[in-house]
Amino acid sequence: MADRRRINGPPGSTIPPVFEDDAGQPEIMNGKGRDRAPNTIRKMFLKTGVTPSASGSAYLEFEDSGKSGVSGLKLSCTVHGPRSLPRSSPFSPHIVLSAHIKYAPFATKQRRGYLRDPSERDLGTHLETALRGAIIADRWPKSGVDIIISIIEGDQDRETSKSQGDETWDMMNALSGCITVASAALADAGIDCVDTVAGGVAALVQDAGEDSTPRIVVDPIPSDHEKVLGACCIAYLPTRDEVTNLWFKGDLPASDAGLYTQLVENGMQASRNANRVLVECLGEATS
Amino acid sequence: MTSSQQVLLSPAELSYLHSSLSLTPPIRPDGRSPTQYRPLSAETGILPGTNGSARICFADGTEAIVGVKAEVEKTKRKWDDDAVYTENSHNDDEEQQQDGRGEASNGNGNSDWVELTVEIPGYRDDDPSTVFLAQMLSEALLADGGFIKKLRINRRFHWKLYLDILLISPPLSYPLPLLSLTTHLALLATRLPRLKSEGDEDPFFDDDWAAAPYLYSRNPTTKRIAERPPVTLLVMAVGGNIIFDPSKEELAVADVALAVSIGDATTSQRSQGEDDRMDVDSGNSGGRNLKLLSIRTVDPPSRLTPPGVANAANSAYGHAQVVNTGANQKMPEARQTESEAVEGVWKPPRGGAKAIVMGALVQKVLVRGGVADEVLDALEGVDTS
Repeated sequence: MADRRRINGPPGSTIPPVFEDDAGQPEIMNGKGRDRAPNTIRKMFLKTGVTPSASGSAYLEFEDSGKSGVSGLKLSCTVHGPRSLPRSSPFSPHIVLSAHIKYAPFATKQRRGYLRDPSERDLGTHLETALRGAIIADRWPKSGVDIIISIIEGDQDRETSKSQGDETWDMMNALSGCITVASAALADAGIDCVDTVAGGVAALVQDAGEDSTPRIVVDPIPSDHEKVLGACCIAYLPTRDEVTNLWFKGDLPASDAGLYTQLVENGMQASRNANRVLVECLGEATS
Repeated sequence: MTSSQQVLLSPAELSYLHSSLSLTPPIRPDGRSPTQYRPLSAETGILPGTNGSARICFADGTEAIVGVKAEVEKTKRKWDDDAVYTENSHNDDEEQQQDGRGEASNGNGNSDWVELTVEIPGYRDDDPSTVFLAQMLSEALLADGGFIKKLRINRRFHWKLYLDILLISPPLSYPLPLLSLTTHLALLATRLPRLKSEGDEDPFFDDDWAAAPYLYSRNPTTKRIAERPPVTLLVMAVGGNIIFDPSKEELAVADVALAVSIGDATTSQRSQGEDDRMDVDSGNSGGRNLKLLSIRTVDPPSRLTPPGVANAANSAYGHAQVVNTGANQKMPEARQTESEAVEGVWKPPRGGAKAIVMGALVQKVLVRGGVADEVLDALEGVDTS
């Protein structure tokens, strides 16, 4: 359905011209892929209270990898509420949570429209699941809270042409960021949670080169690796040691159950790391 | 709808359900064993206007039909694809090499060659839960690149597959297992016209429908389907029990619910001779080589259920006059909600699930000769020709 109310950009894809590097080879070929240790996540910047008009807000930025044309993830989250439900809505003994995630039209390689597409709605559902476990929902009967996240810059490598099917892996990274930033914004809004929930991603990747075996890394950047074989995004409550949302995608043989367990373990580790940043940021905000 | 729909059960009913499902062995409201699926009737090829179709009716009255339609579509050239931007692509060597590359990049296909829509009566098609279902089913289908490769015609054209999934009864239970099984059967019954043209010329097809090959090819001698589409199983944990294919009431007291998509890796990527031998082998070991394709947490509606009030906190009950301390007066609702768990009083679960519990759920799905095998065997019994 075309959006007729706004002036939209050209319908087809518009990809800026890409010029060959001096090296003449994409970076994957040079063997310069991931330069972090497999168990460290990228540095991130988190700040709460950035939007004065909202009851709670937070901004999250992931470090970019320093390559030209590659941007990190930039997220802005606002929380509106808790506020009373409209008169028309049915009684609810709990707070009614609604999460909206929207990519800015310019956030990704492929331009996004103004209306939310299925993948964005899907992300919203994942986020709701992750947060619903963390919020103590029965302290606010008959009220609602809206969580609105705009992804200002999606974490995509503009130069990689061979990013076939990479969007789903990017979505996992985006979701983990969304969970962390939403958790910070909820805390900023003063909504009671059992714990701060943070997101983490772990992936089974295959690097370029003949003799490389698949290995597990946390916080993967798909363009750093030859192929992503499977990934899982986890929302984790560290003090309760509980997982509120688990999203796994990939192709693993069932006989190798250890691989799945390792992925989940690493995802939890990644979210513990993110949680450390989150807790520090909230501590700064209150002091 | 679906999982996050408001459940019309009282706290007392929920508490009863929860405690009977937590027994060992659990007692389910409809008397099934924990791993038992609802009985179902299935048929395929019900819609003559489609390339493949199926209908499944569960015993509880929920019914779904799936129609698969295919269209020929021109493959978009990727902007880095091959010779378009290079000048010296006309000599044969280069051409050959590019062919290989084209094969590699185009052969992978693109996830938008498949369009999957779910329609549930009474719900908007952009409702988050409908979108969630559609994404979950398409994710499982696309998880291994094998399915998309089947849709390739040549370097310039591909099939575009439209899967339309319709729930034709009201959603009496979370429809995921039903929709997944119906899609599975419809894909098995899907046939695409036989290609007559060769190479990269414009595709030209045989108009004899009887000659049309199946999308999921059959072994010509044994008539056995070599490879099968994925299925998604809904599994939940309550107390210490793991329950498959929960009904709506059971899902309302779930601690955690997962949708696990599995594929059958038994015979994929094997040559024919090996295939026959494997048949014998798998007959001996009694199980398939399953593979794990995707897992999603389904938001259990139990978090949205109304909590029960214990007698000790209920001033209307008579003997328990609640003492209003200073803190309680400020937050009257905290008095009720922060009470200790009392036997027989329903309290919606709070927080998430332990990773071990989730791991156990996944393990139970993937175990050899388990429910997944049973479901795949049952589906194999359906006549899809």
